Amino acid sequence: MLLEGETTFDGAPFDGISFDLCSRRKDVVMVSADLSKYTQIIRVKEELPDQHLDVGMAEQNLISVAAGVAKAGFVPVATTFAVYATRRAYDQMVICMGTSPHTSIVVGFTPGIANPARIHHQAAEDLGMLRSVPNATVIDPMDVTDFKQALDVAVDLPGLVYMRGHRGNTPRLLDPQKFKFELGRTYRLRSGSGTGIIATGHATQWALEASGILEDRGIDHSLLHVPTIKPVDETGLADFCFAHDRIVTIENHQIVTGLGSLVAEVVSDVGGGPRITRLGVPGSWAPGGTLPYIREQLGLDAAGLADRIREAGR
Amino acid sequence: MSQADNPKRNIAELESIAAKLRLRVAEMVAPTGQGYVQQGLGSADIFTALYFAEARVDPGNPDWEDRDRVFLTTAHNTAIFYAALAERGFFETGRLSTYCEDGSPLEINASERMGRFVEATCGSLGQGLSVAVGAALAAKRQGRPTRCYVVLGDGEMQEGQVWEALMSAGAWGLDNLCVILDFNEMQCEGHMDNVVSLRPVADKLESFGFAVHDIDGNDMASILNALDAARETKGKPTFINAKTLVGKGVPALEGFMAHQLMFPPEVAENAIAVLKENLS
Repeated sequence: MLLEGETTFDGAPFDGISFDLCSRRKDVVMVSADLSKYTQIIRVKEELPDQHLDVGMAEQNLISVAAGVAKAGFVPVATTFAVYATRRAYDQMVICMGTSPHTSIVVGFTPGIANPARIHHQAAEDLGMLRSVPNATVIDPMDVTDFKQALDVAVDLPGLVYMRGHRGNTPRLLDPQKFKFELGRTYRLRSGSGTGIIATGHATQWALEASGILEDRGIDHSLLHVPTIKPVDETGLADFCFAHDRIVTIENHQIVTGLGSLVAEVVSDVGGGPRITRLGVPGSWAPGGTLPYIREQLGLDAAGLADRIREAGR
Repeated sequence: MSQADNPKRNIAELESIAAKLRLRVAEMVAPTGQGYVQQGLGSADIFTALYFAEARVDPGNPDWEDRDRVFLTTAHNTAIFYAALAERGFFETGRLSTYCEDGSPLEINASERMGRFVEATCGSLGQGLSVAVGAALAAKRQGRPTRCYVVLGDGEMQEGQVWEALMSAGAWGLDNLCVILDFNEMQCEGHMDNVVSLRPVADKLESFGFAVHDIDGNDMASILNALDAARETKGKPTFINAKTLVGKGVPALEGFMAHQLMFPPEVAENAIAVLKENLS
């Protein structure tokens, strides 16, 4: 399901995704808190103004107003940086959206270390926070194709959907003709034996880079992409884990409460199973800077990951 | 006349309903001593005016898309809220006796799972007004006649999000939004003026773009007049600063600042006796 040949990039993926969705679905409204430019929903704002709403720089109001809009029959897509959605308006997401049957989507941009401005803009704990909300749906797409298809599914789901967003140069890795996003499903991108790599979101891009290095070095491995953090196909996830000697999880998130924890929980529920090595932001504040720099500092660059995966497999 | 029409009844009739609701509040809270008695007695006139004279709601069809929406943002003030809903026909009044019993749907905090007549789950203070702003804005965009009424707590106005919501409602000129402040001056730690005062409320709200009415929130005619004025106001939302008296209707409780009053049996008996007498 991966595209072959030279990777292409979309400089503003959500601009196209949101415009396409709003053009097809007149009940969808993009809601912003003064960040339309930075979450890239400018085309909707300018060309479909009836489907755009800006509450100003007020994230708590953003989430609760969006919940109110949902009560009247619209499908709100509240957009802001993941840090603001989760740290500043977590209570609003839980109460106003999480307890309601109405579809309410929050897209959190620049998740994890995908922001140069250090901890106040880096949400490396959002997946864990949202995983803890009963009945919430949590999605961490890996590329433009995944992002677009996941949002198309999300608009028909009940209740709160939290999705991590991509902005700026985002690769197209999955072939839209062959990939079909299904809620909860996991996707095997590399098949092998020995070490099983499990990744989500931005980290699946990183895992693919590391996979290339491992392949060159002749190290056998598999790679599973898990775009839906909740609800996930636990049986499929467990089957993958138990089919490998070692598991390495990679996430653009703290190594607690996110994907690594999810995998450990699933394996522990079955009992026994392989050793799990969790890679991600390792219980410290990530530095600021460019993404390649931050990744290198945290050992999440392609070479660093390949070394750590090889180590884990020994 | 459809169920949804809410005829303006005469003042005496509405006052009689308010007296009945006050009695129900005391009766609901008496068995366990749990519940917000003082606030319920204080805001009975506001709830009576909203549910029996103003809001277009249909107990036979709570999902009615063009209904007016009443948001109780102080979601713990449920004794009076449930009493009003039951009396208006949204559920049987017999269920009120299960208030706060384990397993009863009538929990101490109202939540949406009860049905559409609870417009939003608002237990976390400061959020409900934003939800109402969203619903009011959506109604405007849809061209619906829906009006959104919000019963807001005064202590709740210390929450920052309330001011985010007020700012947006004023900026957008939401004239289908009517906020009723239950200004009983009481919060957990006592009189608001001794914690963080809200004064001057009217000046603050006027500067935020609201049409403001200062009224006696226990005077039925004043409440109705303010609601009438709100409906006639175009281009801006309305804020009704309704000064209420906690414990209203029971002389021994009036003005007694107890945020969560435990209701000893003898006090409850006395309150019920007084309220029954008022009713007759």
